[in-house]
Amino acid sequence: MLPLLALWVKEWLALSRDVHGLAVLFVMPAVFIVIMSLALSDVFRDGSTRQVSFAVVGADAARLVDGLSGEGFKATPSPASESAAREMVRKGSLALVLVVPDGFGADPSVKLKVLADPTLPPVQIATFLQRLQGATLGVKSSSAPLTLEVVGNPGGGKPSSVQQNVPAWLIFGMFFVVLPISALFIIERRDGTLARLVSQRVPFPMLLAGKVGPFFVINLAQAVLMLAAGRFLVPWLGGESLALPARWDLLAAVAACTSLAAIGWGLLVAVGSRTLEQATVIGGVGNILAAALGGIMVPRFVMPESMQAWAGLSPMAWALDAFHAVILRQGSAADIAAPCAKLLALAAALLAAAFWLHQRRRAS
Amino acid sequence: MLKVEGVSFRYAGGEEPVLRQLSIDVPAGGIFGLLGPNGAGKTTLISILAGQLRAEGSVTVDGTPLEELRRREPASLGLVPQEFAFYPMLTCVENLRFFGAVQGLGGARLRERVDSVANFARIVNVMPRRAGELSGGLRRRLNLAIGLLTEPRILLLDEPTVGVDPQSRSFLLDSIRALAGEGRTLLYTSHYMEEVEAICDHVAIIDAGRVLRQGALAELLRDDAAVVPVRHNSRSLEQLFMHLTSRSLRD
Repeated sequence: MLPLLALWVKEWLALSRDVHGLAVLFVMPAVFIVIMSLALSDVFRDGSTRQVSFAVVGADAARLVDGLSGEGFKATPSPASESAAREMVRKGSLALVLVVPDGFGADPSVKLKVLADPTLPPVQIATFLQRLQGATLGVKSSSAPLTLEVVGNPGGGKPSSVQQNVPAWLIFGMFFVVLPISALFIIERRDGTLARLVSQRVPFPMLLAGKVGPFFVINLAQAVLMLAAGRFLVPWLGGESLALPARWDLLAAVAACTSLAAIGWGLLVAVGSRTLEQATVIGGVGNILAAALGGIMVPRFVMPESMQAWAGLSPMAWALDAFHAVILRQGSAADIAAPCAKLLALAAALLAAAFWLHQRRRAS
Repeated sequence: MLKVEGVSFRYAGGEEPVLRQLSIDVPAGGIFGLLGPNGAGKTTLISILAGQLRAEGSVTVDGTPLEELRRREPASLGLVPQEFAFYPMLTCVENLRFFGAVQGLGGARLRERVDSVANFARIVNVMPRRAGELSGGLRRRLNLAIGLLTEPRILLLDEPTVGVDPQSRSFLLDSIRALAGEGRTLLYTSHYMEEVEAICDHVAIIDAGRVLRQGALAELLRDDAAVVPVRHNSRSLEQLFMHLTSRSLRD
C-alpha cells in the first residue's frame, strides 16, 4: 500500500504543478459549457427537428394515429398500458406517447395526456401538440383539453440547452485527461524514471494504478465543478439553470464509470505513443472524433437516423446516455446499468491492452 | 560474484543482436569498469541486469539467479542510470521520499535514509529546490543519491559523470570509491578512460556485443604491453581500448 500511496502523492504533486494541464482539464470544459449553452439556447427552444417515434395508448387510438403520422412523426405499435408507455419514454425507447382516456369524445371534461421524452427539442413537442389539436377535431367538434408531461425531467417542463450541454462537455473534458496522463508517462519513460521504477521492482500494474487514483479524483472534481457551472455560472450569464437530479449516487456512479474509461484511454495512448507529439495527436484527435460522433458537439437528435446508429459506437455517447438517464430522465440504477457496463468493459479492455503492449515492448 | 554467462539480446526490429553470448565475471567488492564505444551494448547490459529487459543467458550472484535474488531481496541491486531519472517538477526531498517509499521504506527509516544519502551526495542545501532547477552537477548527485536509498550491495552506474564540471566529477569519483570501500560491488560504465583507470579494479572492454578483454586492470595493461607500450604520462587504457576497438568512428 505504501508504494501505491507514494505513486499517488507523486502524481498529485506533479499534476498540481502543471498549470497548463490543469487549465485544459478545468477551464476548457467550463468555457465550452458556458459558450455552447448560451449559443444553442435558441436551437433548443425553436431549433432542429428529427423523425421521432410516437404511440397512442387507449381508446380511439387507431383514429388518431393517422392524423398524427407524417412530417417528422412515425407511429409505432401501442404499448400495452400507460405505465408501460411511461416506462418506454423514461428509458428513451419511445419519444412521444398520446394517452387517450376512456370516454374521450363523449365527455368534454376528459383530458388527453402527452408523455414526452425530455431530450426532445421543445419545438418538436410543440409541433406534435399542434398536430394533435388538428387530429382531435376529427373526433370532436372542438379541440380537446390536454396535459403535457415531460417524463422524468426534474424541471417538469422543457429540457434546456444547459441540460444537454453540461453533461456533454463534462464528458469531453473528462476524456481530456488523456493529455496529462500520456504527457507525464512519456516524460517518465524518456527521462528513464520509468525504467528506474521497473528496476526497483515496482510492478507495472501498480504503476498504472498509480495513475488511476489521482486522475479519478481529478475527473470527479471536474464533474462537481462543471455541474456547478451549469447550475450557477450559466444562469448568471443569462442562460437557463441546470436542474440537478435527485439521485446523486447514480450521478457519481456514471461519473466514476466515465472516468475509468477516460483514464484507460489515457493509459493506452501513454503506453502506445513513442513521443509527446504522437500522444497529443492521437489523444486529442481521438477525443474530438469520439465527441463529434457521440453527440457531444452535435446533439444526436439533430443527426439523421443512420448517423445516430453510428453514434452508438462512441464511448462518449454511452457516457452521455448514462448522464441523460440520471439528469434528464430521473432514471434508476437499471437505466444506467447498460451504458455503465459498456464503459467499465471498455476501461478494463483499455487497461489490459496497455499492460499487454508494455509487456510486449519489454520482452523485445 | 556477479556472473553473466552467454547473454544475448536483440531489440525488436533490429537487424543485428546488441549482445552476442556475452560473459563477464564481476568479483564481489570493488569497482568493475565496463568499457566500450557507442553501440557496444553497455547500456543494454545494464538494463538487463536492472530487470528492464529480458534476455537469453544467465545472470547469477554467488550462484543464485539474479532474478530470484531480487525477488527475495528487492533492495539488493541499485541503479544510477545515465539519464536524470527523477521528477524535475518535484523537489529533491520529494524525489528522495518518493523513490524510497516505492521501494518499501517508510517512517523513521525513510527519513533516516533520505538524510543519509543527501549528506553523502552533499545535496542537503538544495533539498527544498525543484530538481529541474538544479545544475548538471547537482542533478548527477541527486541521481546517485536516489540509487543509494536502499543501501544496495550491487550498484549499477551507467555513465554517472557525463556532462559535469571537473569539481563535480572529482566529487562523484571520490563518492564512488567510498561506496566500494563499504564492500559493495559496483559495475561502472564510462567513456572516460582516465576515470576508469583511476577508480576501477577490474575492467571488461566490449564491442559489438562481445567481450574483447576482461580482467584485473593492471594485468590487462601488463599482458597487452607488447601491443600497447606503456609510456610515461600516456593514457595506457585508452591506447588499449583504441587498439582493440579500432579508430573508426561509431554512430
